[in-house]
Amino acid sequence: MTDRRGSLELIGPVLALALAGIVGSTGFVDPALENEFKGALVSVAIVVALYVFVGNSGVVSFGHVSFVAVGAFAAGVMTVPVALKPTITPGLFAFLGEHSVGNLASLALAAVLGGLFALVVGIPLMRLSGLAAGIATFAVLGVTYNILNNWEKIGPGPLTLTTIPETTGLLQATIGAIAVVAVAFAYQRSRYGRKLRASREDPAAARAAGIDIHRERLWAFALSGALSGLAGGLLVHLAGTLQARDVYLDLTFLTLAMLVVGGVGSLWGAVVGALAVSALDSFLLRAESGEVGFVDDLLGKPLWGGSRLVGVALFMAVVLVFLPQGLTRGREFHLPRLGRRRAVAQESSA
Amino acid sequence: MTQAATPEHERWPGASLRATAVSRSFEGIRALDGVTLELHRREVVGLIGPNGAGKTTLVNVMTGFDRPTAGSVELEGREITSWTPHRRGRAGLARTFQHSHSFGSLSVRENVEVAALGVGARPREARRRATELLDLLGIERKADARATTLAHGDERKLEVARALAIEPRFVLMDEPAAGLPEGEIPDFVRVLRTVRDEQGAGVLLIDHNMALVMQVCDRIHVLDQGRTLAEGSPDAVRGNLDVTAAYLGESAANGSTASAPS
Repeated sequence: MTDRRGSLELIGPVLALALAGIVGSTGFVDPALENEFKGALVSVAIVVALYVFVGNSGVVSFGHVSFVAVGAFAAGVMTVPVALKPTITPGLFAFLGEHSVGNLASLALAAVLGGLFALVVGIPLMRLSGLAAGIATFAVLGVTYNILNNWEKIGPGPLTLTTIPETTGLLQATIGAIAVVAVAFAYQRSRYGRKLRASREDPAAARAAGIDIHRERLWAFALSGALSGLAGGLLVHLAGTLQARDVYLDLTFLTLAMLVVGGVGSLWGAVVGALAVSALDSFLLRAESGEVGFVDDLLGKPLWGGSRLVGVALFMAVVLVFLPQGLTRGREFHLPRLGRRRAVAQESSA
Repeated sequence: MTQAATPEHERWPGASLRATAVSRSFEGIRALDGVTLELHRREVVGLIGPNGAGKTTLVNVMTGFDRPTAGSVELEGREITSWTPHRRGRAGLARTFQHSHSFGSLSVRENVEVAALGVGARPREARRRATELLDLLGIERKADARATTLAHGDERKLEVARALAIEPRFVLMDEPAAGLPEGEIPDFVRVLRTVRDEQGAGVLLIDHNMALVMQVCDRIHVLDQGRTLAEGSPDAVRGNLDVTAAYLGESAANGSTASAPS
């Protein structure tokens, strides 16, 4: 019975993502908005990947975009047509410059590399907790960014990688986001996820029950890294171009804001937060570039530059003030159960 | 349900948890000073003493939550002094905490299940143990409640259920009955005897309720200011005047609910 009720928790996120995919594709909305829908779905994949570690372990990571970056660069570099590589990325190692792979293979590669990178980095880092862990993961982000931004043997270095096939359509974005959600759900219901969530609640009691907190955190970190890598692959195939700074501080801030707004404690929160902040972000971005009619009419000009991040930050602050546990208050998706609630109320008043 | 004529530890001397000459100092204060305590399977040993005597520190040292500054801990002949708590848990060493710990946002049932998962049980087996233990402790009706919503007494029972979920060979209970209503003490005695006689575990019981300790313990170990003051059968210890002075006098002055710093 608990299992059936538990599977219902997956319905909300999957329906929300499928709906986003369908609405984006039916011409229901301005076709120019299709990219915004794709972007929102890819954001869901990134935020849910982040949630797998942060939500289940209770340890903050400011460095998760490192794994997105590794996935994005791997998938990007490996799908630029071989014929164009000598022009676009002349400095590559020979084995990178002389081969390219297809869309799906590049996504798999992104996931594997993201996971391996997280595993290697996680072995020392998972011994830390609290603020030290957060700062250390942030250091990883800085290192990753600088390597990607300078090392021309593995990528474009400080230049922009172009001619990446734009294979992340709405269908791929939707399937990718749902796949990441499904893996996250399976993990948190598995005994590994349950042990890690227990350690989040009470480390001492978890250790007394034989739970090796470092090991459980490391598995989650590696899984989270693999999903982040996959999401990075989806991201790069959406944009078609890639620079190191595309997967650095702005994305880190935005994805953390999404997770916190939705509610760090639940998968449903990660999905809701990513969709809500994406919507706001897209709206503000379009208003900045003068594409939203009523804002132009109101101000007599486009929204001020920089309004986008200010708006998202303000939204996050307001949500946190009124709902410190996020929009979902850390709960999983559930159908309203009026009858049950009444029964509980009676029992507690008796 | 009386004990068999030959206690297991006489048949199998290696089956014990032993702290040998352990000391633990905190910034110059000797919380433990050369204490030796051995706990065999199939026995309940009471650990008593006034507040601050070092009872909780001894439990912490034996379960790996604290390291002794001198001395060693052995589990069934293996030296485990430097083992982590979770490794000791997997080796069959369980504990409860003086101040209730729980996996707050998880349900009561999940609290017990996840403890079983922690030592490698499969989910189906974990569910079976949880059902059995919630029943044994008499909190099966609270199975679906969030752990944070429990009343104090039920919280103490969940603490014990979680410790038993790892199917321990030895379980160290730090004031498990503190705050239980007097009427529920007989049920708790029954639980302790089930653990000892049917599961064959060795139980170390810290409690200030002298009636409970005298009734259920096979042996009693008395600590005072970090040192062993007396040990032996309940009758022998009861007869010890030092104990009366150090413990009973103190406990009468402080009341039975006062607790030592952990």
